[in-house]
Amino acid sequence: MKIFSLFDFNVRKDNQFKFRRIKLLTCSLLLIMLFTTIGYRTISLASLKTENISQISSKNVKSKIYNKKIRGNIYDRNNKILSTTISTLSLNINPQEILNKHHTIAKLKKIFPQLKDQDLSKKLNSNRKHINLLREISPKEYVSLLKMGIEGLKIKTKSKRIYPNNNLAAHILGATDIDGKGIAGIEKKFDSQLQEGKDVTLSIHAGIQHITRKLLLEQIKKFEAEGGAGIIINAKNGQVYSIVSLPDYNANNYNSTLSKKLFNKATKGIYELGSTLKLITAAIAFESNLINEDEVFDVSKPLKISSRIITDFHPLNYSINIPEVIVHSSNIGSAKIAEKFGSSIQLKYLKSLGLLNTLSLEIPELGRPQVLMDKKVLTTMTISYGHGISITPMHLASATATIVNNGIKINPTLIKNKDPVQNEKIISKDTSMKMKSIMRLVVSNKHGTAKKAEANGYLIGGKTGTAEKIKPTGGYFKKENIVAFTGAFPMNDPEFIITIMIDNPKGQKFSNGYRTAGWIAAPVVKQIVTRIAPILGVKPQLESESKFSNSLLNYKIRGKNKGANL
Amino acid sequence: MIRSPSFLIIFVILFVAISLYQIKHFITKKEIELAEIKNNVIRVKSDINILNAELSYLKRPDRIEKIALNKLGLKEISPSDIWNLKDLVNVTDSLINGKNK
Repeated sequence: MKIFSLFDFNVRKDNQFKFRRIKLLTCSLLLIMLFTTIGYRTISLASLKTENISQISSKNVKSKIYNKKIRGNIYDRNNKILSTTISTLSLNINPQEILNKHHTIAKLKKIFPQLKDQDLSKKLNSNRKHINLLREISPKEYVSLLKMGIEGLKIKTKSKRIYPNNNLAAHILGATDIDGKGIAGIEKKFDSQLQEGKDVTLSIHAGIQHITRKLLLEQIKKFEAEGGAGIIINAKNGQVYSIVSLPDYNANNYNSTLSKKLFNKATKGIYELGSTLKLITAAIAFESNLINEDEVFDVSKPLKISSRIITDFHPLNYSINIPEVIVHSSNIGSAKIAEKFGSSIQLKYLKSLGLLNTLSLEIPELGRPQVLMDKKVLTTMTISYGHGISITPMHLASATATIVNNGIKINPTLIKNKDPVQNEKIISKDTSMKMKSIMRLVVSNKHGTAKKAEANGYLIGGKTGTAEKIKPTGGYFKKENIVAFTGAFPMNDPEFIITIMIDNPKGQKFSNGYRTAGWIAAPVVKQIVTRIAPILGVKPQLESESKFSNSLLNYKIRGKNKGANL
Repeated sequence: MIRSPSFLIIFVILFVAISLYQIKHFITKKEIELAEIKNNVIRVKSDINILNAELSYLKRPDRIEKIALNKLGLKEISPSDIWNLKDLVNVTDSLINGKNK
């Protein structure tokens, strides 16, 4: 049967059975195809595509902001928030969607009286489709906006980095830029970790930080100084409890702060810290074994080296030993000690104490020491009493910690639970004990230069330093000083290091015109230690107790005609 | 006439298709609920973060210090305020001995 014969009626009539079968087959094929299509579609619709559904549902919930990882928090050592990220609302507008512009301006002015008519009118009449009106609005203002029902408003949620404690530890915390990227301090150093939503716990103690800042600020105001720095670190593990740099700023206003205030004087600024460096000179003298402990140095006459004459602030008319050189803070004595051990040994110890390199502290704002390394006798002598060597106050605190920690190197750290590292031994336990004994005498002895640092029961020891300020163009300001104190407490078993630096204090009537460390830095040390010791769990003790007297040496310090030297 | 096996097959196909469709809808609904819950958790976490920040602001050391000194009449601890238990025992002993004498 040919296909064209299918349309022939007679043929169809003759082959009725065959035609029925063809019809059935065609219908069956069509039905099979239809059901196959429907079946495939049903299964494909019913099958679960988890990712797509999640994405769709997430979009439905429309919270794009929450899909981003929130920047991690920064905590102090007691889990107090120092820096966190919150969601804020910003007010934007599409002028093309606004029907009655005068009406809208009036409504907006009711909620935001600070907005100016002219600005609003200009923005609302713009051809643009997206204009930011306010970067931040409060939840209360947001509710008012919703109630008003203004058309064309776009409220956007965005993240904002905040510092609830304002000025507290501002120099340490740093800041983030508008995109939430760390640009200074811990925010910069730990940016990748924080971006991943991981928190950072610092060794900083918010309470100690506040006390140090407050008392240092009071002293700076009292002596009309330009600024200062204060550091408290654990003498045994180097954990930093407080770093204060003044003047400081509100960490929430980083971008609008003057660069002068942003400068970290404690870790970035390098200064000649004067006689505080005599501690290192004495430690080298004991350690090098080149100088006999009983050896005395004639300080009765000024010392002339090359074109320079080295003098003492209050001259003594007899020969003195090493402890007396430190207690009386004799420049001549210190210079003569340094002359004995020489430049190479001096530089070797300065290097091992970390005073020639940048510190490894966990912030980017670190200063590199500047030291005269010409190996001349005069340079060796001046470095011995802190001239010709510029370091940060943090360098000094670190070196002090090493000296009192039985000579084991202390690297300051800002991280609370940092894995302890077995550090090298820089000086012997014996030298460390001698140094601790002398440091205590500087504060406790009636001829000591830091008598005003004595806080009953807390057994503070240390060394003062006063140096003329270096001119940016070279040379020294004759009437501008840097005053400093570095020390530890309690001296029989030092637990904490305290280093104070005050920049350019002015002599006051109540200080008899003096602008020296003994008058300015030492009293603030006493105040700080008295306040922080109970918080730090340092118990007051008597010097007469065996616990104290067994651990230190008793050097005899001879006096002089008039009061104490600087 | 449709025979009973064919009817059964059609019925099973329909039943499976409807069941699959139901399950798909159920899962989709649960997926949306889960996504909402996840977003709510993040939102609540963000709210907690704000509250913690506010708490931290209220617990600022300078504010606490002002309250302690001005409102509560507290004062700074001096070394003489701190006693060791051993010292207390010694003082008590000496007081008792003094009374006995």
